Amino acid sequence: MKFLRALSNGLVRIETALLVLFLSIMALLAFGQVVLRNVFGTGILWGDPLVRQMVLLVGFVGAALAAHEDRHISIDAFTKFLSPAVRRFVKVVTSCAAACGTFFLALAAWGFVSEEKVSGGEIFLGIPSWIGILIIPVGYCLITIHFLVTGAEHALERFGRGRRASGGGA
Amino acid sequence: MTTFLWGLLLVLLALFGTPLFVIFGAAAMLAFVGAEISPSVIMVDLNRIFMNPTLIAIPLFTFAGYMLAESKAPTRLVNLARAVFGVIPGGLGVVTLVTCALFTAFTGASGVTIIALGGLLYPILLKEQYPERFALGLVTTSGSLGLLFPPSLPLILYGVVSSLSIDKLFAAGLVPGTILLVVLAAFAIQRGWANGIPRTRFAWSNVRSAARAVIWELPLPVVVIGGIYTGTFTATEAASVTAFYVFVIEFFVYRDLSVKKDLARVMKDSMLLVGAILMIIGVAMGLTNYLVDQEVPGKLFDFSKQFITSPAMFLVILNIFLLLVGMMMDIFSAIMVIVPLIMPIAEAYGINQVHLGIIFLTNLEIGYLTPPVGLNLFISSLRFGRPVFSVVRATLPYILILLVALVLITYVPQLSLWMVDALNAK
Repeated sequence: MKFLRALSNGLVRIETALLVLFLSIMALLAFGQVVLRNVFGTGILWGDPLVRQMVLLVGFVGAALAAHEDRHISIDAFTKFLSPAVRRFVKVVTSCAAACGTFFLALAAWGFVSEEKVSGGEIFLGIPSWIGILIIPVGYCLITIHFLVTGAEHALERFGRGRRASGGGA
Repeated sequence: MTTFLWGLLLVLLALFGTPLFVIFGAAAMLAFVGAEISPSVIMVDLNRIFMNPTLIAIPLFTFAGYMLAESKAPTRLVNLARAVFGVIPGGLGVVTLVTCALFTAFTGASGVTIIALGGLLYPILLKEQYPERFALGLVTTSGSLGLLFPPSLPLILYGVVSSLSIDKLFAAGLVPGTILLVVLAAFAIQRGWANGIPRTRFAWSNVRSAARAVIWELPLPVVVIGGIYTGTFTATEAASVTAFYVFVIEFFVYRDLSVKKDLARVMKDSMLLVGAILMIIGVAMGLTNYLVDQEVPGKLFDFSKQFITSPAMFLVILNIFLLLVGMMMDIFSAIMVIVPLIMPIAEAYGINQVHLGIIFLTNLEIGYLTPPVGLNLFISSLRFGRPVFSVVRATLPYILILLVALVLITYVPQLSLWMVDALNAK
């Protein structure tokens, strides 16, 4: 349990830092491009592809953190009416199912990366396109880990150990 | 048989709260594996939609919206609206509607409005002796009002999915969005009048000082909406400028937020939502492409042709269907999964695609309020500490009013389309 907590805390710290970095780059570069285009009639050639790359990165890192904080969009109308014990059991099942699903999504994404390695072009500045999409399998793996930790925490909570600070509403 | 069992399993998992993106992803993978196609094609679709230039607007507008919500902008905005509208009966009700609509357009109808603005306005409404049930219904309803105004995320996403021009959708939403606002305002005024709520006196000095306080934020809707309508900006450029501008004013001009204490937290909070939305967008694209490949829309149309004989009838069925969808699904999933399926059918019945978009979003806006899974009901129940049942009861009259407006918007396509022509949106 301690190990899981340490792992997930460490991941969250790294992910948060990356998220701040990627979003800052995205916001500054996107604004910079608008200024360059409209005021100076020019622009950075690799600026727009890099901004789009940041969307992919922010999306997956944000999704990993959303998995940690239990903020993914889901139907929660029915679980609200379950007793706490049943709800915890349901949470363990759905977390494991979710981890299973995202694991296979990671595999599918890895397949995409392998195909792109063989046949892909480059995104910009000579960077091959498979590097750009590497975040997809990595992101799904991170999400899988967070779902597993959530499931384990809810399972272990039964024995009165490891109270989990929950993420709160939208 | 196995298909059926898998389907049943996924539906059960979804109903018990498994994240929807996992459900869609699993369904897409099973579908492709069943058709003996490598599931990696889902990722090809995911990558393609993530690289759509319009998608950049989603994180940037959400970031801007969260900064506004965390600052004191809501208070400043409400003060100005009270100075302007306080003089009419039910004025505070109108204030609630107008400020929430504006705010929702910027924050993308994700519950932020109810938390930030509803939390601010609900106690004031009660203090000014508005009946509790009226106030609770009002703040709940206002949480998704403004969905049809630019730059709302659902509008942008609809444009991305349907490949319709965002500018056209923005123009089309203006009149229907205003209609929703006006009918609800009329109700608020009537209730205010009937309950004899005291009015405040109108004074230019109040308006002036309230306007001065909000002077830096006031240009935002004008610049963004005006810029998009006049074609000065694209939606993406507007998002870039808005995010940067809001960052500068909230962190350095008003100093409501501090770079050291708040920036990382606000960034993280807003990007959690973005990540959640983008995950759904990513996998749902693969799923719908599979369904389109299997000519599901065509089959649905052939099937429906037997029963649905006229466009008017189609619209009735469409409204009922979409209201049901809105009850079960969140707006982002619904746009991703349903839009590609109904677009070809609607086209076959001769429904204008832009008009269809507005019908779709109006229905889904009402879906935020309908039990059992209307998002606003739960956020409101949580935020104001009232049982979901009370919130549902309080919201009922508003739903009825919105349904009347929905009929109008559905059967008078000109309401959506004349602005598109008038602005010559491309």
